[in-house]
Amino acid sequence: MKKRFAAMAMASAMVLSLTPVTGMTTMAADPLQVVIWDSNQQAGIQEICDLFEEETGIPAKVEVKSWDSYWQLLEASASGGDMPDVFWMHSNNSQMYMKNDMLLKLDDYIEASDVIDIENYMPEVTELYTWDGSYYAIPKDYDTIALWYNKTMFDEAGLAYPDNTWTWDDLYEAAVALTDKDKGQYGFALNPSNNQDTYYNTVYSMGGYIVSEDHKSSGYDDPNTIKAMEYYGKLLTDACPNPTTMSETGTDVLMSSGTVAMIMQGSWMIAGFLQNEYMCENCDVAILPYDAETGVRTSICNGLGWAASAMTDRPDDCWKLLEWFGSKEMQIKQAELGVTMSAYNDTSDTWVNCTDVFNLQPYLEIAGESQDEGVTNELVLRPYTYNTTIWETAATNAFVEAWADPSKMAEVSTNYAAQMNQYIAQENN
Amino acid sequence: MANKSGKAPMTSWEKNQFKWGWIFILPTMLGLIILNIYPIFATVYQSFFKTGDFGRGNIFVGLQNYATMVKDAEVWQSLWNTIKYAIIEVPFSICIALVLAVFLNRKMKGRSVYRAIFFLPMVAAPAAVAMVWRWLYNSQFGLLNNLFGLHVEWISNPKIAWISVAVIGVWSILGYNIVLFIAGLQDIPHDYYEAAEIDGASGVAAFFNITLPLLSPTIFFVLITRVIGAMQVFDLVYMVMDRTNPALPKTQSIVYLFYQYSFNFGNKGYGSAIVMLLLAVILIVTVFQNIGQKKWVFYN
Repeated sequence: MKKRFAAMAMASAMVLSLTPVTGMTTMAADPLQVVIWDSNQQAGIQEICDLFEEETGIPAKVEVKSWDSYWQLLEASASGGDMPDVFWMHSNNSQMYMKNDMLLKLDDYIEASDVIDIENYMPEVTELYTWDGSYYAIPKDYDTIALWYNKTMFDEAGLAYPDNTWTWDDLYEAAVALTDKDKGQYGFALNPSNNQDTYYNTVYSMGGYIVSEDHKSSGYDDPNTIKAMEYYGKLLTDACPNPTTMSETGTDVLMSSGTVAMIMQGSWMIAGFLQNEYMCENCDVAILPYDAETGVRTSICNGLGWAASAMTDRPDDCWKLLEWFGSKEMQIKQAELGVTMSAYNDTSDTWVNCTDVFNLQPYLEIAGESQDEGVTNELVLRPYTYNTTIWETAATNAFVEAWADPSKMAEVSTNYAAQMNQYIAQENN
Repeated sequence: MANKSGKAPMTSWEKNQFKWGWIFILPTMLGLIILNIYPIFATVYQSFFKTGDFGRGNIFVGLQNYATMVKDAEVWQSLWNTIKYAIIEVPFSICIALVLAVFLNRKMKGRSVYRAIFFLPMVAAPAAVAMVWRWLYNSQFGLLNNLFGLHVEWISNPKIAWISVAVIGVWSILGYNIVLFIAGLQDIPHDYYEAAEIDGASGVAAFFNITLPLLSPTIFFVLITRVIGAMQVFDLVYMVMDRTNPALPKTQSIVYLFYQYSFNFGNKGYGSAIVMLLLAVILIVTVFQNIGQKKWVFYN
C-alpha cells in the first residue's frame, strides 16, 4: 500500500511538473519583464526600474541576453504570441516588427500623456520607430562614434595626440608610425564586423554610401565606398595585426591589452571601458578624422527605442514604464549614470560629465556644428533596410576574404554589391 | 487459470497493469510527441515554403529550397566539414576511451578518482568548455602557444582549425564513452580471462580475443550514437569560431549553417531543407552501419 502511494505521488509529480504554472502571471504584483541585450547597461536600467517601482508600485525586472539570443528570443516569442512586456528595438529589425503589428501602437498613449512629447527627442531616432505615421517605440538613447587612442604609445613614439585637425591620411601615417611588429605593437585594428563603429564612418565621410536613400539598393560598388574600403586595405597591410589574430581576439580586447594604439568605438562602450583598468590609465578619446577631399567628418549614429509587446495583458502598465523611461528626469538619470547618451534633446552634457576618466566631449562634438574651418560635421543614421541582419552578416562573411588579402578589396566590394542587391530584392517587405 | 484464450475479458489485475503501464509511459510519450515527433513533420512541411516573418504568410514554393540547396556550394562544404569532424571525433574518442576503460576497470588505487576526473568534462556545460578552449587556443594570449613558445593559429588557420575543434570534441566526449565501456566490461565473465591466463595468453592477446569481441555490442552502440552526435555538432563551432574568423567556411558544420539560416536570417524554409539533408545523410550512414555490424558484432 505504501509503495503504491509512493508511485502515485511520483507520477502526479511528473505530470504536474510538465504543466506550466498559468494564471499567476496576470497578478498586478508580478514584475514586468524587461529584456535588453547589453550587460553594461543592466545596472543602470535596473536602478531606473527600481525608481519606477517606488513611484507606481509596479515592479519591473531587467533581464539581459546576448545580442544573437536576444533576437532569437524576441522572434520566437513573437511567433508564439508570448513576448516579453517591455524591450529594446533596434533599427536592424524594427521595420519587420512594426509592419507585422508585433509592437504596441503608442499613438493614443502619447496623445493622452502629459509627460511624452515626441518633439523632445532626436528626430532621427523617432524616425526609426515610425511606421505608416504611427509611433511604436519611445526613443531611448543615441550613439555616435569616436577615435580611441593609447596615450602611452603616442608619448613613447613622440607623436601628438589625435585632434580635430586630423584627416584620414593623418590617421594612416600615425598608425604606420606606431606599428612595431617585432614588439607586437600595431597602429590600428578592425574586423570585417566592425561596420557601424569603424568603416561605415569613413565610407560616408569620403562621400560613399552603404544603402541608397530609399533603402533599396547597395552602395558597395560606389567608387567612393570602394575608395574608403581600399583605405582600410592599406591600413590592414601596413598597420594592423594579422586578420586571424583580430578575429580571434576582438579589437576592443586588443586595445585594452595594449596591443593596438587606436581603434574606433561607439559611445555604448564607455560603461565597459570604465571597468578596464588598463583603458582608464592609458587611453583617451578623440573626434573622428575628416576627409581632406570632401571636408566632411561623419559619425554613424543610431538610437534604440523602448517598445512594448502588442500582445501583453497589461498594456497600461507597460505604457507607464515606457513613459517613465522616456520622461525627462529618467533620460537625464540614464545619462548621469553613464549608461548612454539620452535621446531627449539637450541632455547629453550630463552624460559627458558622468566620468572624468575619459574625455567624452568628442562623442557629443561630432553631433553639433563644426568649429573647424572648411569642415562639416555630419551624423548619418546607421544604414538599414527591411531586414538588415541578412545582408550585414553576408557583408561580414564576404569581406573576410578581402581582409586576408587586401589587394582584393575593390573586387570583393563590387561583387558583394550585387549579392546585397539580391538580398534586398528578396526581403519580405 | 483454465481460461487462457486472449479474447477473455481482462482480469482486474490485467486492467490495472494496462492502466498503470500507460500512465507511466505517458509523460515520456507526450514529451516525445510534442518535442520530437511533431517538429520533425513541421520541419518537413516547412522545407517546401518560403517562410514569412514570425511564421505568418508562408508561401508554398515546392522543391525550390531543395533546388537552391543542391547548387549551394556552402551547404556541401559544410557537410564535408561535418564529415571531417566526425572522422576525427568518433574513432579517436572510441579508441582512447576503450583503452582507458580497460585500465580503469582493473583493481588499482584511486580508481574512482580517475573515473571522476575523466567524467568531469561531461558534467561541465558545453558552452563553458568551448569558451575555455577558445582562450587556450588563442594565438595571441593562449596558454597553448605561450607554454610551448609557438605561434600556431589553432582556430583561425583554415588548414588546422577543424582539427582543433575536433580535439575539443574528443576531449569532451571521452568520459561518456568510458562509462559505457566500463559498464560493458563488467558484464564480461571473469572466467574467460582466467582460462586465457592458464592457457598462457598475454594481456594484449586477451584484450583482442576476449575483451574486444565480447564488448562489441557496446562498441556498436557507442559507434552508432557517436556518429549521429558528431554529425549534429554545433555548439563547439558556434562558441569557438567568431563570424569574422577566416577559417569559419572550412569549419562550420551543417547544423551551424542550419542555425544561421533559420535563426539569424529568419529563413526557416531553407534552414529546414538543410536539416533534411542532414537527416538523409544520418539515415544512410546508420543503415550501412547496421548492415556492417553483422560482420563484427557478437551477441552471445
